[in-house]
Amino acid sequence: MQPNPMSGGGEDKMSVATPTSPSAKPKRPGEDIFGLLVLMGSLFLLWTAYQISGFSSLSSPGSFPMAVALVMVLASAHTCWDNIRRNRAKVGIDRTPLLSKTAFVFLLMIIAYGALLETLGFLLSSFLFLIGGMTLLRAGSLPKILGLVVLCLVVIYVLFRLTFQVVLPQGIVPEAAIISAISDLFAGAK
Amino acid sequence: MDAMSYFLISWMDPWLLFLLAAGTFCGIYIGAIPGLSVTMAVSILISFTFSWELNDALCLMIGIFVGGVYGGARTAILLNIPGSPSSIATALDGYPLAQKGEAGEAIGLSTVMSVVGGLLGVLALAVAAPLISDFALSFQPRDFMLVAILGILLVGSLAGDSLVKGVFAGAFGLLIGTVGMDPLTAEPRFTFGSMNLLSGISFIAVMIGMFGVSEIFVQMRFMDRLAMKQNLSRIIPSWASVRKHLPLSAQASAIGLGVGALPGVGGDIAALMSYDYAKRVVRNPEVPFGQGAKEGLVAPESANASAIGGAFIPMLTLGIPGDAVTAIFIGALFIHGLNPGPMLMIEQPHMFWFIVGGLTLANIFLLIFGLTGIKIFAKIVEIPKAILLPLILLLSVVGTYALQNSIQDVYWMLGFGVLGYFMKEYGYQLGAVILGVILSRLIDENWRRAIISERDDLGSFFTSLFASPLSVVLLTVIVLIVLSQTPLFGMLKRKLSR
Repeated sequence: MQPNPMSGGGEDKMSVATPTSPSAKPKRPGEDIFGLLVLMGSLFLLWTAYQISGFSSLSSPGSFPMAVALVMVLASAHTCWDNIRRNRAKVGIDRTPLLSKTAFVFLLMIIAYGALLETLGFLLSSFLFLIGGMTLLRAGSLPKILGLVVLCLVVIYVLFRLTFQVVLPQGIVPEAAIISAISDLFAGAK
Repeated sequence: MDAMSYFLISWMDPWLLFLLAAGTFCGIYIGAIPGLSVTMAVSILISFTFSWELNDALCLMIGIFVGGVYGGARTAILLNIPGSPSSIATALDGYPLAQKGEAGEAIGLSTVMSVVGGLLGVLALAVAAPLISDFALSFQPRDFMLVAILGILLVGSLAGDSLVKGVFAGAFGLLIGTVGMDPLTAEPRFTFGSMNLLSGISFIAVMIGMFGVSEIFVQMRFMDRLAMKQNLSRIIPSWASVRKHLPLSAQASAIGLGVGALPGVGGDIAALMSYDYAKRVVRNPEVPFGQGAKEGLVAPESANASAIGGAFIPMLTLGIPGDAVTAIFIGALFIHGLNPGPMLMIEQPHMFWFIVGGLTLANIFLLIFGLTGIKIFAKIVEIPKAILLPLILLLSVVGTYALQNSIQDVYWMLGFGVLGYFMKEYGYQLGAVILGVILSRLIDENWRRAIISERDDLGSFFTSLFASPLSVVLLTVIVLIVLSQTPLFGMLKRKLSR
């Protein structure tokens, strides 16, 4: 099988796992726990699928979800078993951290951005997120970042809000009033 | 002669020419931005062009359709973020090419092959429409289900280091697609009492999260790496390169045409199927698939472009939409007093030839616009990651929110983004998840229709699979694909080669 950039692991060499032999690829930190969580999640989803309509009939609303959830349970169980075999085969662990400190802080910023998007509104929350994110990632000096952020927000606002008429969360910024005032200004100038 | 004159209407009218050109140009950029879908753009245009002449409205929408399907390839190649579902397969080899600094060549080749596929699709529409639509009519629910399962099984070909993880990812996607109200009985599934989940989880939110947001975290591991300078000196592919890939392009276009002609199955499935086909028939690519093989670009781009022509076949000849966009086209035709279906070609053949002419011209504009402006586009890749990554996140949020003005979609997008990153790190195929979400409803509904028609008798259902040649062929292909992924096939191959 060809290595695939979409399957993760960046430039690590891939070695092929088959249903009968464990992969020789070094494990990633937390892989066993993730495998167990996936198995538990699949079992929960199988149970939830069963509760839709049980075994009432093959054409019931729950039949397809149950079949799919069962495939997930079997696949995740096989993956857990494969992880155990790899532990026994002592394939080793690739200790590259899954998330660096910077990435973890960025993740927290993303969560905060999502949480504040509707409360503060698109413009203000995006402004804060971009300033914080670019500063964290060291995009340059503060004036440079400020200028860049303002420019980007103007372009995105014109493109999405005004051109494509996408209604973005207003939040605490009285957007409609501002647009109305600007329109009146131009109307008055005419 | 009448047909020719209708074909050339949009070629001779400067206003219609402008609308086609503008539509194609805008479509490319709409398709490139994840979250701005062609479907959304065309549906917005319906209300926008309500009072327009039908020809004007159709020209603009055709341009957006053709440009938009292609446009997704640009961000797929440059950023590994498919702008549209039909570009998922393009990212598999397009992005590695960009990582090697060959983005210009990748975009140029994908443009030319999109045009080749698009023109072949239009040619087939013009010549074979009635024949292909008759064939598509013969598909039973079980055949649609088998085609969709075939699409999922291609996961085995796309799976990186584990077939089992690929199957899990596909099944996970199928399950995500069942969230919401059951389409046949309106029974809530996996809603956990939440009203927000009754409408399901948008697959575009899942796609943006798993491809866009997860990629941000992957890229954060390479912050110190200098942005790859893209080689854009050679954008227009050489004639030798085009000639070399033409046979594969033609074969992939045939796949795209056939798949596009199936109601409800579009360019996304066509692209993945043709990518798998290319992997199987191209024995010794210069570069392995998944590492920047040009064949990995040629096949999906030709297929998703020819699928457009394919999608118009059932729309114009039967009044059945080939995909979501042609469903909107049907709405546009109704609004303007036309009735797509078998009588359209008899009573108003000029509409058929007008659309064929418009599609042909849109592909020509695609060639022009697709090969220009690439340098500006490619500059995106050279922007420092510290600026680019937060911007990508912002665009992902805006694009997701734009779907249904719902903050829930944004939360799903972020959640799937984080999950997608961990899945990617642990070797799961994200493309398979998206494919599962897209195909879930198709498999679910057609399975239920097929089993209901056999009165819930599983034995009769399996017997019916052997009742028609079409079902037998599809089932055989599925079985062969499954067997080809097992060690048994490897052993057989080794024995036969001795």
